[in-house]
Amino acid sequence: MIAFLHPWFLVGLVAAAVPLILHLRQHREPPTVPFPAVRYLLDATQQHEKRLRLRHLLLLLVRTLLIVAVVLAAAAPSAPVRGVATHPPTALVIVLDNSLSSGAVAGGTPRIEVLRRTVRDALARATPSDALWLLTVDGIPRRGSPEELRSVVDTLTPTGSRLDLGGALAIAQEVVRGDHRPGGVMVVTDLQATAVTPAAVEVPVLVVAATDPAVQNVGLEAIELGSQPWGIDGARVVIRAAGDPGLRVPAQVRVGDRPARQALVAAGAPATLSLPAARPGWHEVAAELDADELRSDDRRVSGVRVAPVAAVRWGGVGRFVEAALATLRDNGRVREGNEVVVGELGGASAVVLPPAEPARLGALNRALEQRGVPWRYGVMVEVPSVTDSGSWLGRHEVTRRYALVPAGSGRTGVLATVGGAPWMVRAGSVVLLGSRLEPEWTGLPYSAAFLPFIDALVNRIARSEVVVADAAVGAPTLVPDVVTEVRQGAATWSVEGGAGFRPPAPGVYWLLAGRDTVGALSAAGDPRESLLAAAPASVVEGLWGARVVEPAAGPAAAFSLAARADLRGAFLWLAVVCGLAELVVAAWGGRIGRH
Amino acid sequence: MVRTERLDLLDPADVARLGGLEVTTEGVVEGFLTGLHRSPRRGFSVEFAEHRMYQPGDELRYIDWKLLGRNDRLYVKQYEEETNLRAMMVCDVSASMAWQGDPARLTKLEYARRLVAALGMILLRQRDATGLVAFDEGVRAILPARARQAQWRQLAITLDGLVPGQGTAAEPALRRVLGLLRRRGLVVFVSDLLLDRELALKALRFLRHRGHQVLVLHLMDPAEVELSGPAEARFEDPETREAVVLRPRDWAEAYQATVTGVVSAWRRECRRRGIGYARITTDTPFGVALRGALVHGARLT
Repeated sequence: MIAFLHPWFLVGLVAAAVPLILHLRQHREPPTVPFPAVRYLLDATQQHEKRLRLRHLLLLLVRTLLIVAVVLAAAAPSAPVRGVATHPPTALVIVLDNSLSSGAVAGGTPRIEVLRRTVRDALARATPSDALWLLTVDGIPRRGSPEELRSVVDTLTPTGSRLDLGGALAIAQEVVRGDHRPGGVMVVTDLQATAVTPAAVEVPVLVVAATDPAVQNVGLEAIELGSQPWGIDGARVVIRAAGDPGLRVPAQVRVGDRPARQALVAAGAPATLSLPAARPGWHEVAAELDADELRSDDRRVSGVRVAPVAAVRWGGVGRFVEAALATLRDNGRVREGNEVVVGELGGASAVVLPPAEPARLGALNRALEQRGVPWRYGVMVEVPSVTDSGSWLGRHEVTRRYALVPAGSGRTGVLATVGGAPWMVRAGSVVLLGSRLEPEWTGLPYSAAFLPFIDALVNRIARSEVVVADAAVGAPTLVPDVVTEVRQGAATWSVEGGAGFRPPAPGVYWLLAGRDTVGALSAAGDPRESLLAAAPASVVEGLWGARVVEPAAGPAAAFSLAARADLRGAFLWLAVVCGLAELVVAAWGGRIGRH
Repeated sequence: MVRTERLDLLDPADVARLGGLEVTTEGVVEGFLTGLHRSPRRGFSVEFAEHRMYQPGDELRYIDWKLLGRNDRLYVKQYEEETNLRAMMVCDVSASMAWQGDPARLTKLEYARRLVAALGMILLRQRDATGLVAFDEGVRAILPARARQAQWRQLAITLDGLVPGQGTAAEPALRRVLGLLRRRGLVVFVSDLLLDRELALKALRFLRHRGHQVLVLHLMDPAEVELSGPAEARFEDPETREAVVLRPRDWAEAYQATVTGVVSAWRRECRRRGIGYARITTDTPFGVALRGALVHGARLT
């Protein structure tokens, strides 16, 4: 693509219209001159008119071309060139795709090894005047000398994360444009079709695609654990696979140290397995496929809590909550007892709903104070709003609520909010809701999420569980504010309540509040990484305007991205040729006359 | 103010500024005859008769040098005086003759008037009967050939009274001349030749066939020889209203080539038929033009 150092000179292209305007002006009615010898003029024109008209058109053409060539030369055009032995100082961002899929073994060699070797060879061609960056899955461009970046490359391994190539290109492009040197982006990748996303690219891009030989793969997409906590008599799980269709792969699932269950799975054909009973407590549920060329997506682990169903007592909670609890009782999800009290402040754990009569609010706040709960019911808010989507709730309409006001020094234990204001909070074994669960207060009772919410409320929230959630490897995940520590095996990470945590690798991360385990994060690779089919080069060229080469040609092409030929000389020569042509054509007019 | 004794060598426009036709013509003719260094009686009305052997005392200028070169003998030419020549001058007064390419120059008609007057004076001084026919689309004026002294004045009055006409048709005028010249005579055809060449040549050839000496004086304005004008113009023929739009700069050379071709064609056709031809531009001094007429007119040598 031709670029211009002084593009404002291109305004001068307007001048190219001058010869055309002059040519058109010739067709205006000229002044009349009496001339007796018109017969001689007619004789002359009849002989030479065609040649003269051709001469006029040629003159118009060469004069227009002359102006265009001079203007373009003034704008200092340049164009990319290939295959140059040396290169000018260049700003080059190397995007090395060490996503999960780069761990695939193709033809006996891990893809990542091919990608690393390509980058090392490219770095070997760099000169001290080049500016180099390395961008990997973490999305952070690292600047360094060729030696520094080479040492980084040597230690890079496939991660469990996905690399969005379009997003990486956008970052790399900003880096290149921030440098005064001409440059471009070199993407070294297995070119997974699922990673190729659109990007507005305005710098030269070279894609080095390691796509041969093709690799077939099936990986675990998800483990669906059903309602938690699991009962002590076992549960059923569903495992889903992603990858090349038609391949059926043996899979096994185990909970804790209990015997595994096995089944065959295929992409798009989930398998359901019944797992045996386990002891109450927190357990790992591990699903695993038989080994193939990409091992990283063959295992998936999640966390599950096994506990007897909650013993619940309720009263004065409204007909919808009563109906839900009765249904749960009838289905064995709760039993009657005093472990959790719903509607009033009492028992070991309590789910407190605001009273239907405002007059009783003062007594309730005093009871909360006596129990040591650092939250109070405040003023009635009757502004229609919705709950903010979170771990426990999606978005539901809330038309009436009491403001929940922290009575202590901090605002902790918030489980759900409405427009950013606390709506469901927990302090120790007490859970407060800002609205009664009735249609006059919220649309939640009419929704399909109501029964699962009541189940979670009594079985999990009221019993101090904060969250069991999925997380992406390397992506920041907000942990609840009661969590003080994250643990995986022997490794622990101290976290500020409410701060983000990046799972460094696939696996289960237990969330601890003090010494109690209150939740789990299940980190796994992005299931799109299991789809190893490569994007066609034509798609990449169309999306990014990139040049696609094989790994063997990549290092040589890396620095030719910035090599541009100065076209000023060519355009000046064109102007000279046009000038000479103008002289020749004009002289030809003289010859026409002499014929 | 022009100061010279030779009016025949002045610019024609300057001559015209000195006075009317009658006043200036005599000066032009006197100057012209002085320049010839010959007796006017030997100039236009004297014809070669025979050779005789050279005898001491003969004037050397009458020795026939060509004969000397061939035979190595000295002969002198003997002439006999002829006083009964009848000359008719045929003058074109069409609209195209009233044109001038530059206001500082004479129109072709004004130039033709003076040239014809000068020729007439020279012929009449030789006591040749001289007449005039003027034409445009038809015959506009006729002055029968006479040798009397008042003839030149009549000629001058007739020339002064000529006004530009419309189109050009030379053939009727030339045929009319046939009736006016019953004996062998001289026909001087003065025109810009912007006419039907074939018809005119046919009439001239007929005159020649009848034994008349014919001289064609082709008048052109210098602007008709070399094309010039504004960057682009619509050139319109004042006679036919035919027009063409072009840029003179582009067509100058092609036009000049065409004019050269036309002049060459006239010269070639006239020579083939024994007709004298001279091209004269209106910035040519009258003396030079008259000398041209002498050179090309066999009867006038």
